Amino acid sequence: MTGCSHKDVVWQSGKLTLYRYQPITRPLGAAPLLIVYALVNRPYMMDLQEDRSLIRGLLASGRDVYLIDWGYPDGADRFTTLADYIDRLLAECVEHVLNAHQISALNLLGVCQGGVLGLCYGALYPQRVSNLITMVTPVDFHTPADLLSKWVRGIDIAAFVGEGNVSGEILNQLFLALMPFRLTQHKYVEMLSQASDPTQLKNFLRVEQWIFDSPDQAGAAFREFVRCLYQENRLINHRLEIGGRRIDLRALQMPILNLIGKRDHLVPPASSRALGALVGSQDYTALELDLGHIGMYISARAQREVPAAIVDWLAAR
Amino acid sequence: MGRWPSSCRSELSCSAYVGASVSADPWGGWQAFSDAARSYMDSLSKASAQGASAQFGDFLRDQFASYSQPWGSQPWGSQPWGSAFAPAAASSPSSPLSPDVPAFGATREQQQRAQRMAQAAARMEAAQHRLQRLWSDVLREAASRFVSQLSASPPAAVTPESLRRLYDTWIDCAEDAYARVAHGEAFCQAQAEFANAASQWRLEQQANIEHWSKFLDLPTRSEINSLTRRLRATEEQLRSMSGSGGATRAPPRNSPSKPPTAKAKAKKKRT
Repeated sequence: MTGCSHKDVVWQSGKLTLYRYQPITRPLGAAPLLIVYALVNRPYMMDLQEDRSLIRGLLASGRDVYLIDWGYPDGADRFTTLADYIDRLLAECVEHVLNAHQISALNLLGVCQGGVLGLCYGALYPQRVSNLITMVTPVDFHTPADLLSKWVRGIDIAAFVGEGNVSGEILNQLFLALMPFRLTQHKYVEMLSQASDPTQLKNFLRVEQWIFDSPDQAGAAFREFVRCLYQENRLINHRLEIGGRRIDLRALQMPILNLIGKRDHLVPPASSRALGALVGSQDYTALELDLGHIGMYISARAQREVPAAIVDWLAAR
Repeated sequence: MGRWPSSCRSELSCSAYVGASVSADPWGGWQAFSDAARSYMDSLSKASAQGASAQFGDFLRDQFASYSQPWGSQPWGSQPWGSAFAPAAASSPSSPLSPDVPAFGATREQQQRAQRMAQAAARMEAAQHRLQRLWSDVLREAASRFVSQLSASPPAAVTPESLRRLYDTWIDCAEDAYARVAHGEAFCQAQAEFANAASQWRLEQQANIEHWSKFLDLPTRSEINSLTRRLRATEEQLRSMSGSGGATRAPPRNSPSKPPTAKAKAKKKRT
């Protein structure tokens, strides 16, 4: 499964693929939007099916949309660091898009962990990002509702990762353990009430496939992410360093739209909300939607509200 | 609602769900819940509601008692080389794997490795036991909450809807009880200790396998890692020689993107 909309491979490096989506309406001619997805899941959730696709919503408005697919890291990628992801791969994707359009800055949309990557990139290269959008993005990793953070704080992450990668399967078990009764039993019983409807069943199975399609994580980057963010919460103190350079969120002076899920159990709303007080931008908008983490991508309400919110916000800038 | 349609089960079998390490069997769980709930509702007319509720609560505690932790299950039972290092071996004071028995002689290093593995396995078992106790607390509290709710308003009749409502109530009670425990310091420490013990056990296993791989002149993970590092260093040198390094290159600047408008500049932070 790779998503439902037509797209072209425009650049590749190692396991990374940069896609450009084919327009479905008359292009606006505005600066393109680059979507930076998380490393821990696959990006086709942004374009799962025709009636559940953030990307189609953006394309329908005439936006030019690019998407980074980080691929599935294997043993050869175990020493890939956050600096490799942000300062090399993401930076090269941005350069590719800027070169292709002969412009100096683009719009960046970071999703979940991809939002953190986007914030770091934007802080390092603010002149390359004209507008920054974050979606269900953790910023303060020590909020009271953050169960994942509480669990990992006492873990010896160097020993846990060793010199290898981290299994996506183990991460999935960890995510299920956040709400074990609901996620390992109740949702399947819920599905029973939809089992007679093949469309609903297929929708359920598509999401299910995505949930468990979790790439292994490059060990070095995972170790840095957990230690510096989940354990030491460095982003909010402007103490995170990527490739030896400090990430100071006050450098983010471009317009910022922060999309927050009020019922997000993976990224508590308070964690995302913290961004507003940390950035240097005078044009910061936080939009809180009554949705969960996954509902933010694929719920009917998200289809109505999220692409429209992004499109309208960009159009006003 | 009853049973899972066979087509649905078969489609699920093909999905990624089956390959994932979900410990509970959802349709089996639902069936067991339905049977127990029916039995509970039937007994309401014959016995006291309180007694029937407690019996039902006990059933639900049992249903989830074997839930495993996300960091992995006990590894020594499933590994052909691991059974010798099961925790019992380390806990026996007379065993050569006990840390109390000094290693000596020509095989001293092998003895020490074996002792470390046995200790790591014992540490994992202790951590698992601690987590299971906390899990038991969750189930006891969940069952207690559920029984209180049932006693306060027992369902009137056995219908698919009433079964479903009961089930939803149970899940709500269970998640509430779990959240209370899972956010607590004891549970967080126990989770971390289990993960750390599992990491130690794995590192000891890796060291042992490395030792025997070298002995048999097989390639080891350390050697492959060393080669990977060399390759990575070479790639970085090449990149720096060719000047390709993400945003370090001079950007094309024919037509600058639209600068922030006066309207945007004037905007204050909005939430």
